[in-house]
Amino acid sequence: MHHERIARLLEKIRREDGRIGAFIEVYEKEALAKAQELDRKAKEGKPLGRLAGKAIAIKNIIAARGKRLTAGSKMLENYIAPYDAAVVERINAEDGIIIGSANMDEFACGSDNTHSAYFATRNPLDPEYVPGGSSGGSAAAVAAGFADIALGSDTGGSIRCPASFCGITGIKPTYGLVSRYGLSDMAMSLDQIGPLANSAKDAKLMLSAIAGRDARDQATGGTPENGKVALDFSGKPTIAVAKEFLEGCDERIAKEFHRLSDSLGAEGYQISEVSIPSLKHAIPIYYLTVFAEFSSAMQKFDGLRYGKTGRELENLTEDVGELRGSKLGLEVKRRILLGTFITTKEYHDAWYGKTLSARAVIKRDIEAVLGKYGVLLGPTMSTLPWKIGQKMENPLEMYLADILTVPANLAGIPAASVPFGKIGKFRPGMQVLGSRYGEGKVFALMEEIERLDRK
Amino acid sequence: MKTIIGLEIHVQLNTKAKLFCECPTNYGHAEANSNICPICAGQPGGKPMQMNGEAISHVLKIASMLKAKPELDKDVFVQRKHYFYPDLPSGYQRTSKPVAKDGKLNGIGIWEVHFEEDPGRYELKKGFVDYNRSGVPLVEIVTAPDMRSPEDAREFLGKLEQYLRYFNVINETEVGTMRIDANISQEGSARVEIKNINSFSNVYDALSFEIKRQRTQIEQGVKIVQETRHFDENSGITVRLRKKETADDYRYVPDPDISPISFSAAQWKAAADAVAELPDARAARLASQYGITPADAGVIVIEKEFADAYERLVKERKFDAQKFANWMRGPLRKQLNYRNLLFRNSGLTAKHAGELYEMFSTGQVTDKAADQILIGMLDTDILIKARESGAYVELRDTPRNVANDLGLLKSSDSGALKAACEQAVKENQKAVSDYKAGNAKSIFFLVGKVMQKTKGTADAREIEETIREMIG
Repeated sequence: MHHERIARLLEKIRREDGRIGAFIEVYEKEALAKAQELDRKAKEGKPLGRLAGKAIAIKNIIAARGKRLTAGSKMLENYIAPYDAAVVERINAEDGIIIGSANMDEFACGSDNTHSAYFATRNPLDPEYVPGGSSGGSAAAVAAGFADIALGSDTGGSIRCPASFCGITGIKPTYGLVSRYGLSDMAMSLDQIGPLANSAKDAKLMLSAIAGRDARDQATGGTPENGKVALDFSGKPTIAVAKEFLEGCDERIAKEFHRLSDSLGAEGYQISEVSIPSLKHAIPIYYLTVFAEFSSAMQKFDGLRYGKTGRELENLTEDVGELRGSKLGLEVKRRILLGTFITTKEYHDAWYGKTLSARAVIKRDIEAVLGKYGVLLGPTMSTLPWKIGQKMENPLEMYLADILTVPANLAGIPAASVPFGKIGKFRPGMQVLGSRYGEGKVFALMEEIERLDRK
Repeated sequence: MKTIIGLEIHVQLNTKAKLFCECPTNYGHAEANSNICPICAGQPGGKPMQMNGEAISHVLKIASMLKAKPELDKDVFVQRKHYFYPDLPSGYQRTSKPVAKDGKLNGIGIWEVHFEEDPGRYELKKGFVDYNRSGVPLVEIVTAPDMRSPEDAREFLGKLEQYLRYFNVINETEVGTMRIDANISQEGSARVEIKNINSFSNVYDALSFEIKRQRTQIEQGVKIVQETRHFDENSGITVRLRKKETADDYRYVPDPDISPISFSAAQWKAAADAVAELPDARAARLASQYGITPADAGVIVIEKEFADAYERLVKERKFDAQKFANWMRGPLRKQLNYRNLLFRNSGLTAKHAGELYEMFSTGQVTDKAADQILIGMLDTDILIKARESGAYVELRDTPRNVANDLGLLKSSDSGALKAACEQAVKENQKAVSDYKAGNAKSIFFLVGKVMQKTKGTADAREIEETIREMIG
């Protein structure tokens, strides 16, 4: 029965993905073989894993042995990953069926998936519109019904933004909850892998399968082993709303948010308004951190490694310059250059040094609120999806789109987006932020929001 | 003209695994690119594991033997040093902030001691990169500019090497495990850096040449420019690599994937205790405590394990301290040196050495037979193979077993000895008549024949006496 269902899904992808562009590659053969294996195991009465039969799309920035790992870039066009990421090992062990690699903004630089070096992904809710990014292919695969669950990565909102734009659920877990071994770097102190799904229940199922300590990612050092991570909470978490979350927010989204907050109030939730003034510095702090770490992470992509270049090396400096120049996209180059600038000896203290201390302030302020309240609640994005082709010229405008999502990454806390209400074809996402390892309360409120949305 | 010299010394640490992954470190003994994983080969998504604890313990010992002050209970960050080169898989090298500062060795100040990871190896002409070495742990020791001559540098490095070898903290199974950058200037002139000198002895030659070069220039009124030079060991000269008007900018940032390391007072104490007695102090103590010559004591302390074995056996087996010292530095060391082996990685243990010396000193085997036994023990197929792959195997066989197998136990059967002598006399009548005619030396010819027949199990003096009685 798994085989039949997977075959049907693959058929659907063949028919419809040309219009959406969710996948960079579809793993037909392997997916069917795995489905067949599960059917055989089931027939023999053998126990199946937690993800048995789930069709899973993986953002193409996560390594799967023997498969291309492009990170949405021409730089890695011919690179075959020689190993499995920790999350891929976990999915395979739990009998999930990986059906393909999802499109993304090049090296996760972007908020709308138009920065893929291959093709733009379209929003399944309206193909004229962007799906959000950078995990836009993952969100579109779930929203289009190609996959049950997808994995994305989130450095400043790259799971939550596309989840919100595509009307599905996504969670960026606590920094260090899920091993990033096998996740190509964007900004290492912010990066986190997490699930996108049709429901909080499926997102939680996936998270329960992939969460846990791993010696190959030091950030997981404080996390319990897989199977011992607490994701449940019974009771009503107390809610804080930071008034900064609604400043400059699209009125239609703000209206849906107020409708949600009223409904929660009516259900007996205690909701308090708070203010976190340092949030207004989140965007510059976030981008300076990203530029600095990203330029370091991108250092290895000299154009000579990771797949054939098809040319002889003659002059190291010139050839590397030329290869990087021709194989990287504009936004990636912009970030490398800015990051290189702010980490030079001359400017290091003025920019990067200050950024590190300012980040500590935001983290402390958010933690202080979450020490008093169970969760923070607000909209995920302050705008609705834009049309493909808009916002391309002005990078600042694109950077500002991340304003509500970056604080969670700066603080290393879990943050989820769950759809609520309807605006035209779209379903705006509501963001739930919890304290470090406070996923239980986040999921509890997500499920409540889903219930109220169905009402 | 006053010469000012400071050194940056990079030495590979003696660890089984690399600094941030579990790959083995025997890079030169393995097929190219076989000791690699996604982490040390810089594959996208590879992240560093926790720093190798063995490396940490070695570096703390080194810091302590250099009398440097440790950065106790502080966060020691690991930084990324960025540059492009084919042997550097990630485009940056991981290098820690100082683990300890402000030490002294042989009167030379030590500025700091820190960790680094080695890059891979790049063969420019073949365009070939081998990442086996990538990620091998290094310690970098930075001295103050306290040396005034190549002799100072040689003396300092000699002492440093002696300490590092004695405590078994550095990699001695591979080649090219030490690299030195030397900074050298004439007082009042610009500083020149000679990069990547690949042995301690080349440092002396490089410095000697460079001092002459700089002085000649100054005498001719040519200004010395700040630059980086390379020492060419074939021609013995230094050549310019690049002019260095401004400092290189490596854009150091703390590695976000690595939690800062920190050392507790207890960790530091354990390291300090392990290196509490330095080899020269131990040599002096051995000489006075056991009454052996300072020269013998100096050789005994070449390795800590060797000196430990010596002391233990003298105490436990009540060996004659001087005679046993002679044997250890003589016949035993000779067989090790011949195979380029250290006692600690030879497969021989103190127990083996004790048993063999016991057999020799009580006359159960001759000195020649003792040599044969050592050879038999050190040259088994298993051991030779292990040495080729850089592995360590402990010997299972005991000296007594080997002696039995090779028939080397001294024959206590005087009948057999007598028979062999009679036969030699019978077969070599000319030597007998020569001896009788007054050529005393002829008897040694006969002794040699008997030794051949008895395969060295008989004592030469005993043979001589037997023959003398027979024909005398």
